[in-house]
Amino acid sequence: MSNNVFPKKTRRQFLAGGAMLGTAGLAASAEALAQAPRESAVLISSRPDAPYDLAKSENILYSACLQCNTGCGIKCKLQDGVVTKIDGNPYNPWTLLPHLPYATAVHDAVTVDAAICPKGQAGLQTAYDPYRLRKVLKRAGKRGENRWMTIPFEQAIKEICEGGLLFAHVPGEENRKVEGLRDLVTLTDPKLAAEMDADVKAIWDEKDKAKKQALVAAFQAKHAAHLDKLIDPQHPDLGPKNNQIVLAWGRLKDGRGDLYKRFAAALGTVNAHGHTTVCQGSLYFTCKAISDQYIGGKFTDGQKFYWQADTENSRFILFVGANLFEANYGPPNRAVRLTHHLVERQTKIAVADPRFSKLASKAWKWLPLKPGTDAALALGMIRWVLDEKRFDAKFLSAANKAAAAAAGETSWTNATWLVHIKDGKPGKLVRAADVNIDGTFLAQAEKRTTKDGKPYEEKFMVVMVDGKPVAVDPNDEKTPVYGDLFVDAKLPDGTPVKSGLQILLETAHQHTVAEWAAIADVPESDVVAVARELTSYGKMAAVDVHRGPAQHTNGFYNVLAWMSLNMLLGNFDAKGGMIKASTFDTSGKGKLFDLKAHPGKITAFGVSSIRHGVDYEKTTLFAGYPAKRNWYPLSSDIYEEIIPSIGDAYPYPVKALFFYMGAPTYALPAGHTNIEILCDTAKVPLFVASDIVIGSTSMYADYIFPDLSYLERWEFQGSHPNIPQQVQPVRQPVIAPIPEECTVYGHKLPLSLESLVLGIAEQLKLPGFGKDAFGPGLNLEHPDELYLRGVANLAFGEKPDGSQAVADADAREMELFRQARRHLPVTVFDEARWKAIVGEKMWPKVVYVLNRGGRFEDYDQAYRGNRVAHPYAALLNLYQEKTASTIHSGTGEPNPGYACFVPVRDYRGEQPGKLREGYELAMVTHRTISHTKSRTVANPWLTPLLPDNGILVHPRDAQRLGLRAGQLVKVVSATNPAGRWDLGAGNEKLMIGKVVLTQTVRPGVVSFALGYGHWATGARSVVIDGQIIHGEERRAAGIHANAAMWTDPTLKNICMFDPVGGSVSFYDTFVHLEPLSPA
Amino acid sequence: MSMSRREWIEGAALVGVGVAAAGAMVAKDRFGGTPPDPKGPDTVRPLAVPIPARADEDPLLRMQRDLVRAMQKTAEERRWCMIIDTRKCVGCHACTIGCVAENKLPPGVVYRPVVTEERGEFPRVAIDFLPRPCMQCEKPPCVPVCPVKATWRRADGITVIDYDKCIGCRYCLTACPYGARTSDFGEYYVDAQAMDADSALPVLGPSALWEHAPSHEYGKHWNRRGHQSPMGNARKCHFCLHRLEVGQLPMCVTTCIGRATYFGDASDPNSLVAELVAQNNTQVLLPHKGTHPRVRYIF
Repeated sequence: MSNNVFPKKTRRQFLAGGAMLGTAGLAASAEALAQAPRESAVLISSRPDAPYDLAKSENILYSACLQCNTGCGIKCKLQDGVVTKIDGNPYNPWTLLPHLPYATAVHDAVTVDAAICPKGQAGLQTAYDPYRLRKVLKRAGKRGENRWMTIPFEQAIKEICEGGLLFAHVPGEENRKVEGLRDLVTLTDPKLAAEMDADVKAIWDEKDKAKKQALVAAFQAKHAAHLDKLIDPQHPDLGPKNNQIVLAWGRLKDGRGDLYKRFAAALGTVNAHGHTTVCQGSLYFTCKAISDQYIGGKFTDGQKFYWQADTENSRFILFVGANLFEANYGPPNRAVRLTHHLVERQTKIAVADPRFSKLASKAWKWLPLKPGTDAALALGMIRWVLDEKRFDAKFLSAANKAAAAAAGETSWTNATWLVHIKDGKPGKLVRAADVNIDGTFLAQAEKRTTKDGKPYEEKFMVVMVDGKPVAVDPNDEKTPVYGDLFVDAKLPDGTPVKSGLQILLETAHQHTVAEWAAIADVPESDVVAVARELTSYGKMAAVDVHRGPAQHTNGFYNVLAWMSLNMLLGNFDAKGGMIKASTFDTSGKGKLFDLKAHPGKITAFGVSSIRHGVDYEKTTLFAGYPAKRNWYPLSSDIYEEIIPSIGDAYPYPVKALFFYMGAPTYALPAGHTNIEILCDTAKVPLFVASDIVIGSTSMYADYIFPDLSYLERWEFQGSHPNIPQQVQPVRQPVIAPIPEECTVYGHKLPLSLESLVLGIAEQLKLPGFGKDAFGPGLNLEHPDELYLRGVANLAFGEKPDGSQAVADADAREMELFRQARRHLPVTVFDEARWKAIVGEKMWPKVVYVLNRGGRFEDYDQAYRGNRVAHPYAALLNLYQEKTASTIHSGTGEPNPGYACFVPVRDYRGEQPGKLREGYELAMVTHRTISHTKSRTVANPWLTPLLPDNGILVHPRDAQRLGLRAGQLVKVVSATNPAGRWDLGAGNEKLMIGKVVLTQTVRPGVVSFALGYGHWATGARSVVIDGQIIHGEERRAAGIHANAAMWTDPTLKNICMFDPVGGSVSFYDTFVHLEPLSPA
Repeated sequence: MSMSRREWIEGAALVGVGVAAAGAMVAKDRFGGTPPDPKGPDTVRPLAVPIPARADEDPLLRMQRDLVRAMQKTAEERRWCMIIDTRKCVGCHACTIGCVAENKLPPGVVYRPVVTEERGEFPRVAIDFLPRPCMQCEKPPCVPVCPVKATWRRADGITVIDYDKCIGCRYCLTACPYGARTSDFGEYYVDAQAMDADSALPVLGPSALWEHAPSHEYGKHWNRRGHQSPMGNARKCHFCLHRLEVGQLPMCVTTCIGRATYFGDASDPNSLVAELVAQNNTQVLLPHKGTHPRVRYIF
């Protein structure tokens, strides 16, 4: 590890005096020789003084960063309409602690700068990247050849909507007729769609195979006149042809997300898929499974979210695979909450990570676990905590909401609920109404109705109380029930049962603590020491996990193991424990503007292109195991499946792919598999990208629509689980748009995602756009009509009567608002237009919010005593009946419903022993604070911090393998023995990097920093309208070894993945470093 | 372009030692001696931080209050000092980049590097971070070596450079034992010629607008165009004097996400820096050099 800005002297040299001696000084007079003019402020010289533009309120706009998804509040400072400095927004809790009271006058806050990280500060270079696109590009050569022509916006929209021989100018595509969107949007009748949807659901709900087939026949008969609208009438559950349009995205935030999802809804496709699984999907989807609620007799409504430690108030935090001084939502907000407390010894941390991160450098203990063994390490701690009885017994024994409340808790677990044990395996939770005790049932089933009026039968759960079975209503707020914690018994009818906690105990008892420690390869004494600390601070301790445990094939169970440990601590909703994000709503339903309203929308239905949210076994595609590809009943946004599923045309072929702000070819493990598919016009007939530059995925598109950078657009950034206050940072236009203008619905707009969506909506007359889009008198012909109303909703607050509305901006603030936007063109800022959209009454409130960069609850409002003010306050599933009812599509085995250690496995359930043969080094990745995967290479300020990433290798491995520092090596693996990126169109890039020797990686593990080794985004030359645009060498520097990451041995065109939680496998591959230069 | 600039710099260096007659012409009026610093009542700034104080406020606000209090004194009564608590430094380089952005520093010019050093052997490893601004020495070795008196130490303790006087001889670079001075070779981060928006890249965006806005160092405007100062000059940290004037802390302080950098008036017993000096065993770098730095460290 070296410092590249200042490489020559070490800290030691400075301290010990090793630095070189200065040149002997020339004699100089210290006398002042002349009187200087008195008006000089700092430096008296002939050069006139000049004002400091960056401290003037009219040169400042608050917004939200998007250099990474931490999304810190930013204070953009302008000189002549150009952002030249970005600092932290002091109103925003990310960057100042405590943040300024929301009522602070904007003029009073002017000189307060708050802190953000280096790439946040360098973000202006993303906006002013010379490689920014300004016109619509159409492919002039083969996909991936990077030959382009500029075309008018109107032409591009027409071609995409109407199709035709669009690429007759490209050799080989003379006769290729592209189906336009109009050909695909076949189902447009809302009534028909709703009927078909209901009929498909009936097919799915039918368990009997013959009856299921009969329902299909009935569907075909009933909808005989409309079967041409379906992808495959033999499989009506694939849905309408509309589903052959796939809208995908990388980083999409609310606001823009509302627009893009509205677009998908208007097109009638179920296929709107995000990127979650490339980040920490299995963290999200494990927590979704944990947060499923028992509603209407089943487990549902789990939230796609997760908890993090209350960084500021925890006394002890074990960070697992979390590198929050460099990434992980994120450096400015969490560093400030930790460093002082670490120094003052109010907080102690431990870090489990194969790499010694900057976070680990501040830790009391580092557990350098073997990659992929998180669950083993967690189970070792769980065993110790259970055996030593250092868990929160009161919290765990609370079996329903009333018990939680009586115990002073807000959340409760199902740790005591009894689980049926069938053939020694845990299955469904026992229902009281099914337990027959000498002829009477433990409880009578009750007819109840759900909140939305659906009747259901409540059969109740069962716990043991002092060894006797007792019925329990999980949501009962009146009668507390506390169950026995450890139950291994038979019900009176002989049914073997265990409590969820007993199942966890037995799982933890599969090995001794020493054995678990040995699997993770960390000292047993450290496992015990950390477990002891974790259980020494009551509820003010937490295990905070991030990508590390999640991005493995066993990610779901790794995360579940760590979260189970948190449940043992009973720390949910506690100050200093595990907390969740809380945001102000912008969608406005029942309050001000209902932005979810979508008149004329059809019900999208059918299997999604990534096969999520439905059990394979329910569909008409079920054909035994293994399924052709994996199904994901518990997760969504399976990024790695979007393009490979299209490649296999499973479950169906896709005709049009839209990609917004995504670079799956670069970001995904084995992303090269996506390139091959994208280059194939037969598999992907139409590919449209929205990007600010020609990016590493958009370069394969047929059309690239220039987009606005984060400094030119609207979004609602939302929050993160480590922020206890309720917030909603607003991203708003700070600079004039870089792209050229176009016209949609009669309005001039900058080329952008918005004009792309609105342009298509106008051409196809899609419902929910244009006149009366949200209802009578509420149009969506201009993006401001969505975004300004969203801000108005935010300003209005959560109370239907408006009693939570923000204050009005006063006259001085209103004037400042105008002045600070004097550089923005009318396409962006037009006070009359903005005011008309939100109305006279809301206008000064909207200004108030925008003048502060969003809405932020005051610092002191975050807690009520020792509890958070915005608690999760619901059931936590230690045992997951729903998960246990799902089946692994590759093996046909049921998925366990509890925390356990699952080894790294491929789709067929095989451990990758063969793939490891001859490849001796486990490869992981890491993030440096200066880069965010694919976007920050555009920022030249960041380059000198680490111009070339290299491959981190432990000296012991280097010695064993005969490698030396600085040597160039090629990264090869069993599934990429050539060590190359096939970039399509005859281009390639070898995965060559320099060896960096360091003690900061676990021996046997190598790592590289993400964000290097680019082949697009200005790194490579392109041809536009016959003119060569040269790439910058700087941007291609370093190595990006994702293509060495294993592809699944059976599926081949996809990386390895977590079949349950959906995460990609980032940290399971073994590689070999092939020396290129002599050792 | 860069060649000619280099020649110009080298020419100027010769002038510095007084052997090039041609250069002496150029430098004639540069030998006027050190001008007086702004002192006395004119340097008093009636600033305020109109944010209600609270006991647990962010040290950034506390220090800003300390700063405006100090600005109510005359320049010669202030005793600027910086404390860097390396235990809180997370090695993020926010200060490095914050400084580069604030002062519009070109490639190769860095006022505030952070040295990262790895120690120990697996699994007993440590990473140390050492931010290293100009030490604002009480006895700055860089000052007496300047042949044109373009650099001097102000009454408040900050060593400054008048770029308009500096001839780019780089003696001061050599004299500084901390390597705190770097030379502006006139380079740009974005090659303006290769990326000229109007000619070469008709489809792509405008080139780096941020690189051509004037910097505000020393409360003046500096346009890095042609051969104008500060191109060709020695450059160094000045504790963001231009920000202090308006009641703002140095950029490396306000950007510090770990709140490891403290700044204030050491002569004010109520300031946070005075408190830290009293409470901690603070140290300076290279004490044996006798430079008496105003930047102190807590390790």
